[in-house]
Amino acid sequence: MINRFLNNLEEWLIAFLMGSATVVIFLAVLHRYFSGVPYIQDYLVKLNVSWAQELCIFMFVWMAKFGAAYGVRTGIHVGVDIIIRKLEGGKRRALILFGLFAGALFTGIVGTLGANFVWHMAHTDQVSSDLEVPMWIVYMCVPLGSYLMSFRFLQVAYSFFKTNELPHHDHGHVEGLSESDADDILRQGGNVVGARK
Amino acid sequence: MNAMIIFTLLILLMLTGMPISISLGLTVLTFLFTMTNVPIESVALKLFTGIEKFEIMAIPFFILAGNFLTHGGVAKRMIRFATTMIGHWHGGLGLAAVMGCALFAAVSGSSPATVVAIGSVVLPAMVKQGFPPRFGAGIVTTSGALGILIPPSIAMVMYSVSTNTSVGSLFIAGIIPGLMLAILLGLTTWWIARKNNYPRLPKATMSERFTAFRESFWGLALVVVVIGGIYSGKFTPTEAAAVAAVYAFVVAVFIYKDLPLNRLPKVLLDSASMSAMLLYIITNAVLFSFLMTNEGIPQAMGDWMIAQGFGPVTFLIVVNILLLIAGNVMEPSSIILIMAPILFPVAMKLGIDPIHLGIIITVNMEIGMCHPPVGLNLYVASGITKMGITELTIAVWPWLKTMLVFLIVVTYWPGLSTWLPSVLMK
Repeated sequence: MINRFLNNLEEWLIAFLMGSATVVIFLAVLHRYFSGVPYIQDYLVKLNVSWAQELCIFMFVWMAKFGAAYGVRTGIHVGVDIIIRKLEGGKRRALILFGLFAGALFTGIVGTLGANFVWHMAHTDQVSSDLEVPMWIVYMCVPLGSYLMSFRFLQVAYSFFKTNELPHHDHGHVEGLSESDADDILRQGGNVVGARK
Repeated sequence: MNAMIIFTLLILLMLTGMPISISLGLTVLTFLFTMTNVPIESVALKLFTGIEKFEIMAIPFFILAGNFLTHGGVAKRMIRFATTMIGHWHGGLGLAAVMGCALFAAVSGSSPATVVAIGSVVLPAMVKQGFPPRFGAGIVTTSGALGILIPPSIAMVMYSVSTNTSVGSLFIAGIIPGLMLAILLGLTTWWIARKNNYPRLPKATMSERFTAFRESFWGLALVVVVIGGIYSGKFTPTEAAAVAAVYAFVVAVFIYKDLPLNRLPKVLLDSASMSAMLLYIITNAVLFSFLMTNEGIPQAMGDWMIAQGFGPVTFLIVVNILLLIAGNVMEPSSIILIMAPILFPVAMKLGIDPIHLGIIITVNMEIGMCHPPVGLNLYVASGITKMGITELTIAVWPWLKTMLVFLIVVTYWPGLSTWLPSVLMK
């Protein structure tokens, strides 16, 4: 139940951040471009969009932290697997579990360092330069994201221990491509042409 | 001594198969906790500030743009255009695949994405035409690598981030070597096809060519938006990437209508997770290079090389061999982020142009993606063709040889990379 909530939250959050950061920068570019156009520029100069870059950076940093946790679940983080692929049975299991626990350990330490840092930050009144949001809120993504990632590593380790399966990301898979695409590029004069020797 | 410990630890951790980002981070933490008195707070700070640069944000935008183009039928129309132009020569569809890759590379910043986009359309068509599957697989795997040499390029953004070189200049510098490699790969294809008498297509009429051009126009125009925008100074590379993403979205959804709106969340999610993976490596690599600089390792290596009397020629041989070996076990982004900060100071001492070094590294990465054990292009191609890695390795060999020759040319002919940016970017 909580797990499903976390899954959805992760997915919606990072997809939303990706999309909206794109829109923000696009609008900022449009704004700058149209500020040079007579008539409308009078209205546009009143809008201040200098915060766009900063917002985009914050959004992507948040996306990076939570996306990294999502990536553990989907197995997108690549490693050097030349040894693991040669091993079999117990040794392979042990090495994979070692890797997963190392991941959980590292992200756990980073999360703690981050939490500590945010705690100190919260006692200062540092704000970001353009948006003027308190920096500790911005930096919250490090403890939150890292602890979530640590949890994901443990989760993957547990399911690997039980079922011997790892999440695997297939880079070669594209949805929505069909056979007809192959014919599409070969059509000439309305017909699919054959080869000539 | 410290350098030895750091590298041994890093390599050991990597060999266990844990994600590269984690092994980088753990190396840094272990070293800091046990061997130095660098305050741990400065590390905590690096964890936040590592990716807080607007230049880095070009990476997620280019990935998003690439995904829209892949799903949006742009690749299909580009191949169709290429087919009408050169499909009647020896190699037919194979040659068109090379040109299609080069065109798609000019709008996409990633090699595997280029292989997926072009390969999944052109390979089934080639098999239908009676080409041996190996031939097509070899072409697409290697030509897809053009994705990171022809601008825009994620690999170049990585290099510029870790060495403070201008992304714009690097992009411009990639144009001539990129076109040259495309022509060389095309020649290899033509040669093999002529020798084996592979099928050719009937020559397209002028009106067919024009129709194909008009249909692919919206995709091709993106090249102008990105490169033209950066070159004329209208956008920064990051802004160009964001504009490209919006443009690609509009083309995929509203103009070509190949991407239904309900698939949008999936595309966003895939792009976000791919970007997050890369950004996570960057964060940890920044941490790692902070450790290296703090221990003075690049400087020590530079001094040692100069004391040995290494000139630029020897140094570049070492660089190439080192990168090709690294390409055997790691994927490009990690290699660039780990190696560039180490190699860069040495290269500067020896008087090598930063742009030239960037192009050399990029070409090395291209080669690394096309051969086992971790060539990402190979895995992608194997996913599309359902061929085993061993068979694919044999399949790519003729084109890989061409790429190795090209690497030597790029390494010892700096003008090839530096001339265009020196003329254009004053």
